[in-house]
Amino acid sequence: MIIETKNLTKTYKLFEKEAGLRGSVKSLFKRKFSYKTALSNFDITVNEGEFIGLIGPNGAGKTTLVKILTGIVAKTSGEVSVLGFYSNKLEHAFKKQYAVVMGQKSQLFFELTASDTFLLFKELYGIPKEEYQKNLDYFVTLFEVEKLLNVQVRTLSLGERMKMELIAALLHNPKVLFLDEPTIGLDAVAQRQIRTFLKEVNENKGTTIILTSHYMEDIKSLCKRCVVVNHGEKNYDGDTDTLFQRYRTHKKITLCFAEETNFLLPEGCILVEQNPLKAVFMVPVTTSQELVTMFMKQYVLNDITIEEDEIGSVVERIYDSRKVESE
Amino acid sequence: MKKYLEIAKILFKSQMAYRFDVAMTVLFTVTKILFAYILWGAIFAQNEVVGGFTFPMMLSYYIISSFLSQIEMSDGVSREVSERIRSGTFSKYMVIPVSVNGYFIAQTFGTVAYYFIFVAIGTILWILLFGVGFVITSGILTILSTIVIIILGLLFMIQLNFFLGMLAFKFQDIEFFLMIKSNIVSFVTGGLVPLMLLPQSIVSVMKIFPFYYVTYLPSMLLIGENGHEAVTGIIMLSIWLFVFVLLNKITYVKMRVIYDGVGI
Repeated sequence: MIIETKNLTKTYKLFEKEAGLRGSVKSLFKRKFSYKTALSNFDITVNEGEFIGLIGPNGAGKTTLVKILTGIVAKTSGEVSVLGFYSNKLEHAFKKQYAVVMGQKSQLFFELTASDTFLLFKELYGIPKEEYQKNLDYFVTLFEVEKLLNVQVRTLSLGERMKMELIAALLHNPKVLFLDEPTIGLDAVAQRQIRTFLKEVNENKGTTIILTSHYMEDIKSLCKRCVVVNHGEKNYDGDTDTLFQRYRTHKKITLCFAEETNFLLPEGCILVEQNPLKAVFMVPVTTSQELVTMFMKQYVLNDITIEEDEIGSVVERIYDSRKVESE
Repeated sequence: MKKYLEIAKILFKSQMAYRFDVAMTVLFTVTKILFAYILWGAIFAQNEVVGGFTFPMMLSYYIISSFLSQIEMSDGVSREVSERIRSGTFSKYMVIPVSVNGYFIAQTFGTVAYYFIFVAIGTILWILLFGVGFVITSGILTILSTIVIIILGLLFMIQLNFFLGMLAFKFQDIEFFLMIKSNIVSFVTGGLVPLMLLPQSIVSVMKIFPFYYVTYLPSMLLIGENGHEAVTGIIMLSIWLFVFVLLNKITYVKMRVIYDGVGI
């Protein structure tokens, strides 16, 4: 086990002020604060080599958890141990063993080339020359970014920049890699490339990866285990496929009629769209087969399509749910 | 040590991206010299010596102090530290295996090294163009102790600015503190008026504080004056530096735990 938290709690102190000039003047003399619990009695254990996804709506506590695990933010109470260290002590020996990449925060020097930042990181982490070259070659080839190494960072695209951030983070062979929204704002191609890269790093280098992302495609294709965080609490911790399967409660059926039809929505179904020649609706997974057979007998159809529940709807259900029994 | 050298190097390289800035810096080293030339030229037209200074000495003082205040670039430390704390990007320094204070010292030295070269070129250029009878000491020991004082002064100013920057952990805005510092520094370092022209009682008080030794004393030492204060300068700056290093260490440990890492 390389990460363990017990009853981890983090409370933020928030400054509050009434709207308008009057409120601003009042706040000059009397400060009003409120408290927000970002994490509440949060327990998590992570084993070496795992690839874990942290999901949850905005403000759920995912980033706070990453910040506590990386030592950026101090806990309010509870216990936290990462690689055997108390993270917020920020010992160099600890910092040399992990890396963190946050989608909106950069370690690169925009006026210089990515190679310049890599050279800096070589010294900061005391990476031996051979190991540095070997790792650099490996990651550069994996991302196919040879031609971009000597280009000024500010002229790189968002996707290219993120690739360079990841390379910089991994040069020292960290045992744990924390990723906070690494694919945010990237196009589909760049997202896929980054996913492939991370998968390879996890499998070949054995790097433990903790990923937070709002893109469920990231979570589903990379993380065998996922943790749902909501209102600072852990709602689910277990197999990713099982979680999605559990909330994939409906299927989407589209019926295209051969002639104008007065379609009657069966009980338990949710209508999405209807006109005399077409009907789109959601049916519960448990009754879908039976209903399809019935539709085929009852109506003259040109076409029928059955689709999986949209990922967005599944995620919405997951977030709306309270605690789910973990695996 | 090697990692801090690399930080200084990367900042040195970063400066090279801003060629226009550097060209302007070189060009505008002339303004202060020109101002001093006109102002003191008028005063020295009636008196040969003012406050113990001859005209070439006064011009040399201005040129040297202007050079030193231009390469004293520690202001950037308080700005960057406070802005990064306020924007939530200070974590950038917290997650790498390096002392944050050390990072900013190295960063400033990297920037200063770059400007040192170009401001020196500008200054020499204007001295030659104006045909200033430049007065500089020939005493090797004085020059060496001045270099030590300049380095200690810069280190102290970095520590002071790092401390002020860290106040953003606690306060929403630190502009007020920066403004006070800026006003004190520009007056007390002798950048506006040579301190020798001020009443002795005021100068005596100033000598307790470190700012006297940051720009004023090295400028005086280089024009061959105040030689007896070199050792005092080194001692005073070392004491102040030690106090601020300690203060920063304590402040950082206490303050960073209240950092929430959230942006504005």
